Amino acid sequence: MISRIARKEFLELTRDGRYRILAGVVLVLSLLSLAVGWNNYSSLSKQHETAQAATRTQWLAQDKKNPHSAAHYGMYAFKPKSQLAMVDTGIDPYVGVAVWMEAHKQNDFKFRPAQDRTAVQRFGEMTGAEVLQVLLPLFVVLMTFSAFTAEREQGTLRQLMSLGVSPRMLALGKAAGVALALAIVLVPATVLGVVAFMWTTESGLLAGDAGRVAWMIAVYLVYFATLIAIGLAVSAATRSSRVSLLVLLAFWFANSLLATRAAADLAGALHPTPSAVQFQRALEEDLSDQQAVAQRLEVRRAALFKEHNVDHVDALPIAFSGISLQEGEEHANEVFDEHFGRLFNLYEQQNRVLQAAGMAAPMLAVRSLSMGLAGTDFNQHRDFVAAAENYRRDIQRVLNADIAANQKKGQVYLADRSLWEQVPEFEYTAPPTQWVLGNYITSLIVLIAWFAASAFVLFRSTARLQVD
Amino acid sequence: MLTAVDLTKRYNDVVALNALRLTIAPGEVFCLLGANGAGKTTTINLFLNFIEPTSGSATINGIDVTKAPLETKKYVAYIPETVMLYRNLTGLENLEYFAALAGRPDYTASQLLEFFARVGLPDGAAERRVGTYSKGMRQKVGIAIALAKGAKALLLDEPTSGLDPKASNEFSDLLRQLSADGVAVLMATHDLFRAKQSGTRVGIMKHGRLVAVHGTDEFTHADLERVYLEHMHD
Repeated sequence: MISRIARKEFLELTRDGRYRILAGVVLVLSLLSLAVGWNNYSSLSKQHETAQAATRTQWLAQDKKNPHSAAHYGMYAFKPKSQLAMVDTGIDPYVGVAVWMEAHKQNDFKFRPAQDRTAVQRFGEMTGAEVLQVLLPLFVVLMTFSAFTAEREQGTLRQLMSLGVSPRMLALGKAAGVALALAIVLVPATVLGVVAFMWTTESGLLAGDAGRVAWMIAVYLVYFATLIAIGLAVSAATRSSRVSLLVLLAFWFANSLLATRAAADLAGALHPTPSAVQFQRALEEDLSDQQAVAQRLEVRRAALFKEHNVDHVDALPIAFSGISLQEGEEHANEVFDEHFGRLFNLYEQQNRVLQAAGMAAPMLAVRSLSMGLAGTDFNQHRDFVAAAENYRRDIQRVLNADIAANQKKGQVYLADRSLWEQVPEFEYTAPPTQWVLGNYITSLIVLIAWFAASAFVLFRSTARLQVD
Repeated sequence: MLTAVDLTKRYNDVVALNALRLTIAPGEVFCLLGANGAGKTTTINLFLNFIEPTSGSATINGIDVTKAPLETKKYVAYIPETVMLYRNLTGLENLEYFAALAGRPDYTASQLLEFFARVGLPDGAAERRVGTYSKGMRQKVGIAIALAKGAKALLLDEPTSGLDPKASNEFSDLLRQLSADGVAVLMATHDLFRAKQSGTRVGIMKHGRLVAVHGTDEFTHADLERVYLEHMHD
């Protein structure tokens, strides 16, 4: 029965010229966004690979020099892009993808595509996520708004209900019909997307990303099912197609366009972050706290004197300049941890607000999950920042320890390639899928709740279906 | 087959149908006559459970329509003033869809075409989209749906109004055939001539009341008209 209704709905839709044009446009835009994403991804990941290799080669090819000069020479760390980033670029264009690692400083990320954009471009980027979160919901609205109202207006609903059809079956059949019409567009785009994934990886099909891909597909499927149920429920409950369209367009506008802005503003108001200038000033103030550095150094010096039973730095078997440099680093690290930690915690609190706001607009829940699974959300940015920063600290530790061990008083100490090689290559593996889902458990629950609620409302509104 | 017991529908203070008592046996064609707003369509809507009765009951095949609406609808077919179909589908696709939803998904295309032949749908029309159909053709599709469904009772709401005399006559012939097959028919109509020709009994309604019931063999067409007008006057 359901499949029979679905087939008829689908047949009617596909015979409607408006649907054919719309589906064609949506398909073209989906493929276009995929192509843009794929192009970005493949060129960027190639650039990253080359640059990462180059930065390592440069590091190893340094001349003989004092280790501290090498510390200032520094190197780059590049955030690896997950393949799903070609679908959802998330916050990457705003936070950047590479960090310069050098002595004394936890640097901010560089290479933010958003920096090179005009204000208008900010809204016009054609990403897969944009298509999935803005365009397709509109498509669903246009396919569902008249599902019941048009039948009521034409009088076919009377005819249909006189046959003894269960309204629930009718609703499910219509939902399946719309899903089928949506699948015509989505399936080719998804298949092409997966093929593009296979192309871009040398290690084969979805290596490592399969779990994320499956989850992302599931998230969007549940979201579209929810939107279909909402569209049909409104169509069943409203008197005319015009009213139904108006209600659904208002919902679409609020959900797909307004909610993101409004929720971001709300999150910003609840957990305000300092401006870049304020942050920088406070950071520098604490960094340049000479008293704290002196105190630290004093404690360390006393401990060393006691350990080696001496009362003069020159009597120590190690070079105190190395110790002093490392103590300076340790002080700075504490300050960085405190300041960046505070800032990042604010961002995380903002993200929690965004997730909770999903209760008002399901798109927010989907957006969080989508970014998270694509690895382009704040949490994974933070994870990478932490890994890069730990690596930077490791470099400093290795270099300063070398100074402490080898610097002789009154001599110029130069280290060579053997020391540079002691610094391991930077490696970063993105956290596993479970970690992502753990971060977005709220969004998952909110999304499922929306689905359940919309299905319930659909059944309720069809149970009270008015034939005219 | 169709029974109404003290069936009443009230909208606020307006009584649309007042304590209707009516029994229509298999093979009977009962024509409801009366002015607009007399309660004819209300009666049909109550049998279809499209509206809830205020009091009383409507039963089809002995089953209360409010208690098992899906079950009772299995026995009836409904033909409104204009049978509404899906304009982007062909006549055959419409018939197949409605038959399937009425619980008969098993017909082959040739069986369905036979129903069209029985109701006299012109050759070749079955493959055309119904957007091009005339009203007479739509009513024929409606009867074909009823035939395909194997309905034991028909609820007709002014099915011949606006039909040309020939189409109207063909419609009456089909009704007679159905009644001969034992189908109970309840037809609301303004057409006294049609009522006399194809009905077995006529009932005259006024302000929601069934004020008179006569067998059609009791009078000539002229008598029926006189009786009807008498009731309308006071």
